[in-house]
Amino acid sequence: MTTFKMNRRTALGMGVGAAALATGIGRARAQGKTLNVLAHRVHQASLTQGPAGDLTKAWRDANATEVNWATFDSNPLQDRLFREASLSSTDFGVGFLVNSRATRDAAKLMAPLDDFQRANPIEDFADIAPGLVAAMRFDGKLVSVPFRHATIGLFYNEALLEERGIKAPPQTLEELVDQAKRLTFTSAAGTPVTGMVLASDLSVFPVTFARAFGGDFISGDLKLVPDRGALEKGLATMQDLFKAGALPRTFATTTNDDQVTWIQQGRAAFTVLPFARFAQLNNPQQSKFPGKIKAIEFPISEALRGKVPFASVVEFWAMSILGNARDKDLAWNFIRTMSSKAVTTGAARNGNGPVRVSTYQDPGFAADQPLAAVESKALAGARVPLPAFPEAARAQTIFLEEVQLAVLGRKNPSEAVGAIIERVKPLLPA
Amino acid sequence: MDADRGERQARGSLIGEDDMGSTITKRQFAAALPWITPAHGLLLTVIVIPAVYVIWLSVTNSTFGRAPSFVGLVNYVKVLNDTYFWRALFNTIFIVALVVHLELLLGLGMALLFASGLPFRGVLLAAVLAPYAVSEVSAAVIWRYLFDPDVGPVSVAMKAIGLPILEWSIEPSHGLALISLLSIWLHLPFTFLILYAARLSIPRELYEAALIDQATPLQMFRKVTLPLLVPALVVAALFRYIFVFRMFSEVWLMTQGGPARQTEVLAVYLYLEAFRFNAFGEAAATGWIMLAISLVLGAGYLFALRKDMTSDAR
Repeated sequence: MTTFKMNRRTALGMGVGAAALATGIGRARAQGKTLNVLAHRVHQASLTQGPAGDLTKAWRDANATEVNWATFDSNPLQDRLFREASLSSTDFGVGFLVNSRATRDAAKLMAPLDDFQRANPIEDFADIAPGLVAAMRFDGKLVSVPFRHATIGLFYNEALLEERGIKAPPQTLEELVDQAKRLTFTSAAGTPVTGMVLASDLSVFPVTFARAFGGDFISGDLKLVPDRGALEKGLATMQDLFKAGALPRTFATTTNDDQVTWIQQGRAAFTVLPFARFAQLNNPQQSKFPGKIKAIEFPISEALRGKVPFASVVEFWAMSILGNARDKDLAWNFIRTMSSKAVTTGAARNGNGPVRVSTYQDPGFAADQPLAAVESKALAGARVPLPAFPEAARAQTIFLEEVQLAVLGRKNPSEAVGAIIERVKPLLPA
Repeated sequence: MDADRGERQARGSLIGEDDMGSTITKRQFAAALPWITPAHGLLLTVIVIPAVYVIWLSVTNSTFGRAPSFVGLVNYVKVLNDTYFWRALFNTIFIVALVVHLELLLGLGMALLFASGLPFRGVLLAAVLAPYAVSEVSAAVIWRYLFDPDVGPVSVAMKAIGLPILEWSIEPSHGLALISLLSIWLHLPFTFLILYAARLSIPRELYEAALIDQATPLQMFRKVTLPLLVPALVVAALFRYIFVFRMFSEVWLMTQGGPARQTEVLAVYLYLEAFRFNAFGEAAATGWIMLAISLVLGAGYLFALRKDMTSDAR
């Protein structure tokens, strides 16, 4: 049997070998470029997987560059993006920025894009929803290019509605409440069904209920609770649903992912999610009800029906170049290509919410996408749930805390709204 | 010996004395320096420098995109005046007290049971240690499902036999209880292993002597087992105090501190300040306050441990 002995010569040989290996790896890396992208998994998926295939391949081949995706959930993604951008330099070139975190302070960390756009413009830039572009402009400088919008709609399980003898989805909020209560039952399959499932950690849902009565949390011009009565009615409606068992007992700890699972498994009949979730909810590999999950615009209250348009909640993501990125030209090249008309339409086929108006007008896309028309209509009047300002995250946390207390019945809606106004007011910019 | 020591002290070659009373000369220190420098360098790099940075951060107003500005002790005052901080502190102390003591009791009971001789000891040992191999994320997902108020098997079983279920998503006290149970389930193997090893190291002769003296099982436990297990109990308690005091993942994965931030613990409070509100000054101040509180809570155990170690050494 041969025994291995470590002596000076062996150690020296191993050291030289390791150094040569490291040099070889370094050279191999230098031959091909890599673009590091900070993103949410959904951004990566919509650009690389689905019916339209991998939309980054042509760009990768043309630029001899690999795309390295570092994906995180929304809040950790924004945290990582800002931390990377705060360093003296970073290996990350592109980062996705969500509208609610796009404040003036955050914008200072991103590279201004106007010079890139002048030198090497994005195809038909005016086609990208102007309202979304404007939200990414600070002190006249564009810091991010919109990529994905998530406009929410009301999803329903058609099979469960049919089982309870409900022929059509609700046209008003009052009908929605009534149907959600009727759909709180044990299905023929033996599954306990809850009328509606909502996550409690996002302001989208209470804001949607408030808007159904013409109210809001913080308006675009930073007016806090512009219509107190409407927000109180919205919270009272949610409280009523919870008391009736038409919202889950776990409402206060339900997350966005739970909503998807509950709908796919037939544990809930209604939910509120971005239209772009349609494909996922009907995916035969994940859903027990493929083809049966449909969506409509969230219904407005009876009193406002036909009088004012419903302002759906929209959130959107945009692509930025980190201010301290080493190769900003490569990053812009990526953003420019991923914002083209062809890639925008392809990403929409893969499940992205397209930010170009022309995508919805594309007859081929509209024919393939059952929700294209309703989504386009909802997007036309959509507004963000709350505008971005330095203390927006803290304001949203207070709002959600008071909403939870109201829904669980610990506070009456009027007390909760009073507390929201009192506690959020000092956080708004002067 | 003392004269030699005095002479060396006068010459300046004697630079100190270790815990065991041995003297160290300058030459010995110089010879030892290359061996201790890497460890001290590591400590300096990963503990001392970051700690100093966090102290500096705690006296500044700092967030992304803005240069930090010195604000003195304002952040400490803000944190100490924040009702969420006090609620998180109360919840943390509640969980620490429940988890550490219940876990010690269960760990001790199981260690004694195993030491008394069990059939299929290997299989049972593997079963007891298994939770330690489960990741906290998987464990939280499993427990969330098990205790789901509508369809969770545990909730369904409790309803079936007429017992009230844990409304952990609605009642903060239920939420804290479930988080504590999850933590105990996950970490009991750690406590059990320490106590079991300590119990096995007690010489059999002591029990034989106690039997000759006609001691009852209870007397043997009180007069032989317990006194000899005290050092291991202190070590286990101290480690668990430290770990539970900074508990984050169990709470975050089970309730995210809800409903309405009522099951929040200090680590979750700190996380929100740092990574959701990006208030780095307040977050850093919270970190130092946490350290101070945990030192106060653990001081008794630390003194007991040091006393025990030094008495053994001498």
